[in-house]
Amino acid sequence: MSVKIEVIAGGVPHDKIMIAGLVSTIVCIYLTYLNAFTNTQMFSFFGGLAVVAALIWGSHTIKVLCSYGIGTGVPSAGMIAFGSGIIAMLLATKFGMLAPIVALVLAAVIGLILGYVSNSILNMKIPAMVQALTEMAVVGAFTVMGFAAMISGGFTFTGLTTSTATFLGFPITSYANSFIGGGLIAVAFLLGAIAIQHPFNACLGPGWKQDRMLMLTAECGFLSMIVAAVMSFALISAGSALISLIVAIIGWLYTYTRFFEMSKRDAAAWLDSKPIPDTEGH
Amino acid sequence: MENIVFGIGITALTGALATVAGSAEDTESNIGSQGDPNSQVQLAPQMGFLHRIFNKAVAGEPPAYGLWCALGAGLAWAFMAMQVNAILAIVLGCILAVFVQGVYATTAYLGRTASLAKFGQPVYVDIIKSMTTVTMAHAFIAIFCTVALCQLINGALGHPFPLPLLALIWGIALGAAGSATGNPYYGKERQYQNQKFGAGVPISASGNIVRYAEAGERNSIDNGFFTHKIGGSASGICFGLIVFLEIWRTILFERIYAGWGAIAVGVLMILIFTVIDRYIEVWARKNYGPYTVAKEADA
Repeated sequence: MSVKIEVIAGGVPHDKIMIAGLVSTIVCIYLTYLNAFTNTQMFSFFGGLAVVAALIWGSHTIKVLCSYGIGTGVPSAGMIAFGSGIIAMLLATKFGMLAPIVALVLAAVIGLILGYVSNSILNMKIPAMVQALTEMAVVGAFTVMGFAAMISGGFTFTGLTTSTATFLGFPITSYANSFIGGGLIAVAFLLGAIAIQHPFNACLGPGWKQDRMLMLTAECGFLSMIVAAVMSFALISAGSALISLIVAIIGWLYTYTRFFEMSKRDAAAWLDSKPIPDTEGH
Repeated sequence: MENIVFGIGITALTGALATVAGSAEDTESNIGSQGDPNSQVQLAPQMGFLHRIFNKAVAGEPPAYGLWCALGAGLAWAFMAMQVNAILAIVLGCILAVFVQGVYATTAYLGRTASLAKFGQPVYVDIIKSMTTVTMAHAFIAIFCTVALCQLINGALGHPFPLPLLALIWGIALGAAGSATGNPYYGKERQYQNQKFGAGVPISASGNIVRYAEAGERNSIDNGFFTHKIGGSASGICFGLIVFLEIWRTILFERIYAGWGAIAVGVLMILIFTVIDRYIEVWARKNYGPYTVAKEADA
């Protein structure tokens, strides 16, 4: 049984969040390209920031979509975002520097088709469906790409499938020890899919507040960034991974404490070891 | 022959690990009211039944455990790539995965409860402190056992999938086993102990979950204690059997007709289980009968 939620107005309008999310995600993903120019891996943490920006946009899209009474469908919205996005992302990595733009276009096309199928062929007839599925596919593609850039230092297909290891003093090419070959892409998929749906899933209800939900999204993004930074120690230099880890921990601590403050602000009461309050009639 | 004996040994070990994982997973999700019983815990304050039950559903159990196990395995894989010993790597990976699980649990409880402010449901800080750690401990056991069995499948049996991908698949299977086997016991029996047995959950009783204990007010640790005896064990047996039978048929029969033997045995097992399930269903209907008296349900 799901709780029926009404469309809640107020706060920053969705279009504004969408444009800000799109621009900042693309900018952050391109900033990881500084790695290639400077021949270091120090700028990988921008991939994590791209993830946070994309998730904030995506979780608000889920809110727009799921306000039409799709209570138990919130987690599946996250899954379809990443299921459709990862296809576009994988194909786009073949295009080198153009990868983020190609991912944007491809994901939008896939999302548009999925939205059309669910609205017109499966007859769901939810007004926001086509636009929301398009946006979520793009968010999914960008999030996985951000994780890829953060964990492996780049977003080209060769970089994601191969790595160079030293064996008995000789450099050898390894496919198993890479972002895709090692299966880390599966972890990135689920890290993003849970992080994108959790904020609205956790904050839905009559007392929903936009700032609290978006703060939780940022918290989920930075939390995912922490573990992604730990995984990146295996694929990029220790110093670069350490920068990502420190950025992630600072961001997480700030957003987590802010989310606690906002929950305290919105909660009916903040009690420690107290009994259930008396209510009339029960 | 030695290969087969070795394989059967590994199969037994993975089955045992899976049994422990299933049991811990179900208890963890019951303490956190995850899975479908969550909707009633979420609904209760809206119907005027304020409670002290922990409500930390992050997603359904399968996707949530898919993430925790894949994350534990991904981190373990990364530590192993950094030349850390496998056992230590798995433990470290699972500790970090459990940290993520714990943070998600606190934000889920806070977010949900704060959004129910209109109905007067307070946030209990002592619940966050005491329940989160208990769910984290159970989640650690479940994740560690699952990642360890995936490492056995990958390392000892030579499965071609990388560790995180295997853990994703078995994590989803673990969540599904716990959700399908253990949740009915928590949701329909424990939360609705005040209803007549077999009555289901009538609309009039929606949200009227059991909130008071023999002495004082019930919290989620009581629920975990209660459901672990039957719900937890049943989930453990369920997941243990899934893992054991799956690997057992592969080890023994995959040489027959280039792998088709294992598939044929798999189909045969499904048929056998269908017959057993049907027999139990008919037996239960005959002994307990359909629930017909509608008036008693309202009482």
